[in-house]
Amino acid sequence: MSDAPLGHIRVLDLSDDKGALCGKIFADLGADVIKVEPLEGSPTRRIPPFLDDSPGLDSSLYFIAYEAGKRSATLNLERADARELLRALAVKADFLIESFQPGYMDTLGLGFEHLAALNQRLVYVSITPFGDRGPGRNYRAADIVVWAAGGVMYLMGEPERAPLQMSLPQAGLLAGAEAAVAALLAYHARLADDLGQHVVIDMQACVVWMLMNEQAMPVFHGAHLERSGRRFNFGFISRRLLFRCADGYVSALVIGGPNGAPSTRALVQWMAEKGFASDWMLVMDWVSWVPGFFMQATERDLKEVAELEDAIERFFMTMNKQEIYAEAIKRRILIAPVYNVAEIAEDEQLRARDFFAWVANDVLDRTLVLPGPFARFSLTPLKAPRRPPMLGEHNMQVYGDLLRLSPVEISRLRACGAI
Amino acid sequence: MTRYALEGLRVLDFSWVGVGPVATKYLADNGADVIRIESAVRPDTLRMAPPWKDGSPGVNRSQFFASYNTSKRSLALDLSRPKAREIALKLVSWAEVVVESFTPRVLRQYGLDYDSLRKLKPELVMLSTCLQGQSGPRAEFPGFGQLMSGLSGFYYISGYPEGSPCPPYGAYTDFVSTRFVAIALLSALAYRRRTGCGQYVDLAQYEASLQNLAPALVDYFATGRVLKAQANRSQRYAPHEAYRCADESGHERWVALAVADDAQWRALMRVLGGADYEPRFATMRGRLEAFDELDHFIGGLVRGRHAEELVEQLQANGVPAYRVQSCTDLHGDPNLAAFGFWHWLDHKEMGSSPYEGFQHRLSRTPGELRRPAPLLGEHTDEILGGMLGFAPDEIEELRRTQVLL
Repeated sequence: MSDAPLGHIRVLDLSDDKGALCGKIFADLGADVIKVEPLEGSPTRRIPPFLDDSPGLDSSLYFIAYEAGKRSATLNLERADARELLRALAVKADFLIESFQPGYMDTLGLGFEHLAALNQRLVYVSITPFGDRGPGRNYRAADIVVWAAGGVMYLMGEPERAPLQMSLPQAGLLAGAEAAVAALLAYHARLADDLGQHVVIDMQACVVWMLMNEQAMPVFHGAHLERSGRRFNFGFISRRLLFRCADGYVSALVIGGPNGAPSTRALVQWMAEKGFASDWMLVMDWVSWVPGFFMQATERDLKEVAELEDAIERFFMTMNKQEIYAEAIKRRILIAPVYNVAEIAEDEQLRARDFFAWVANDVLDRTLVLPGPFARFSLTPLKAPRRPPMLGEHNMQVYGDLLRLSPVEISRLRACGAI
Repeated sequence: MTRYALEGLRVLDFSWVGVGPVATKYLADNGADVIRIESAVRPDTLRMAPPWKDGSPGVNRSQFFASYNTSKRSLALDLSRPKAREIALKLVSWAEVVVESFTPRVLRQYGLDYDSLRKLKPELVMLSTCLQGQSGPRAEFPGFGQLMSGLSGFYYISGYPEGSPCPPYGAYTDFVSTRFVAIALLSALAYRRRTGCGQYVDLAQYEASLQNLAPALVDYFATGRVLKAQANRSQRYAPHEAYRCADESGHERWVALAVADDAQWRALMRVLGGADYEPRFATMRGRLEAFDELDHFIGGLVRGRHAEELVEQLQANGVPAYRVQSCTDLHGDPNLAAFGFWHWLDHKEMGSSPYEGFQHRLSRTPGELRRPAPLLGEHTDEILGGMLGFAPDEIEELRRTQVLL
């Protein structure tokens, strides 16, 4: 048998941009994901930018990307009859994902305890910006604010200018993926004893986890790191990671030690062939060359680093990034081009693996391209992306087929503004 | 009732560096018995990297390695020795899950690739993760997340509109990919628990990371627009920036804030005492269009304010804001503390050391950092002797011939 990995799972997704990726991942895994939206639509429908810069409930790029493959049912949770419908849905669901202010669902009588009383197998996932127990549990959040709270922002940007966020906000995506991990852990517990549980995600902690363990620097080395602009911190030694080339930048790890030396040796050899390497570079024992790894650099280290990095950039300026990348692969040197989305779209590796997915979108009357599967399963491939739902598109299916309400009853709920 | 979510799961872990080990840490901290295959012949890169306990290096003194390998056991095994394969195959028979993160040729060369292992154990769940995937012209591309973050577009969108990219600290895409590795493992395993069928998962870190770039890719394919670095400028919030506050003990202090609607804007003005603002700032459209002037205006009002007090006032008035926190700040952060994020474990060689904890909490079956990271080869004897039934003199011989190294 070969269906989808989670083909038998039903998910209620009430989340905003702190959790949309979680539901998308479950849709990829074959689950039936129902986006439960307020009557005016999920907040994710209003996240700019929009396709062709033309705002509309179906044209947010974020919405197109992260609500793909879900069904939509509308529900006005401010109304008691609508809350009853959510309870009925929770009885038929395996996972529920929400990202309201902590405690909001409890005030509606829809918190974990309430729903677990109706369905003890339910895995109830709450995504919070700053946890549910600290002084900031009711803090308002935006992606940049959590990025700052989690420590990544502090280390990004020029020292004399404002610290930076990435130009496509990431914190909510990190939390969404973490929510999927945690929900699956809870699902495995349920496989053992048939009981669900409450899963709380701390988005700030998700950002801290991006710091590559920099957290221990102040503890073990007496100080935290500072942002260093275009340069890159290897411990307390600021190194060049991004080198200019004829048509942009490449990312090159020029390091020693047993796992870096073969690459650096090969790079120097290549430079020597073109007359860009100094004599000392050719005789250096790169295995023992680890400035920064041991947290201190001598004047000699710094001089060598500067000479080497300058020579590399002069060398790279003679080529474009594709030439550098192609040769680096042949010689097994640790270099990759700094790509933009246009270059990623043309990338031969992704093409060879047929990565991108062409998705017909009849609502917008065009075909859109989405990233393909996050992993290739040999027996149960992930489901190809489908377009996101129109607002309330599946009300009849969800309330009629799933909850077995009559058409008359559904019309009544619609007329009174419950759905 | 089960104590841990993955109580009793048996995992054989050939992976190294960041992506694989952080993913198998999810399993280990949730009750799985994860055996890491390592070798002193070519130690995990992270064992050779700072932060070091007391600032002094050693394969068992790196917190970088320690943080990503809690609750696991370590078996020292030099896979390049023929005898090592025999031991590895016994462990495959024991395991339900195998994880590896070499370039594709490595395990093939040792006869430990999926096609070899499935013959031994058809119900095996095996996951391979390398940078660009098991097939295609770049399958053998070696490297680290600092290269993948360039390739998959994240450096390009990090920085100011003019000038060169400003990369985030760390190997960004490693920490994007690793959650997808955990998701893939847990869902392949869930499928096996339900059907008895094992399978192979090829997870390219390139393809996993691009999930976090999806809106920009959709846009490019549809309209040709290329997303560029634009500092902290947003199309959704205005203002949306980090602003410098009063210095504290000689150090800069910054606060990040974002205003989502006009009500939040009015609250911001109340807190900052900036009633006398330009009329065009009153609407979101006006603020978005005058982003630079707005920035200048807010920057002037914030400068000199005490960061922590300002955050409290803004949040009390419903405006999203937080300090821009250093790692020193993170260790004193009350919200991380209340979530129980930090753990101090007593490591055999490093003593008491700080470990990053969970990003989630399971109410009924919480995970636990059950043990500090293992020393290299710490569990070699108990695994070979106790579990696989090797006699002491056999183990001695394997050690003498440098198989167990």
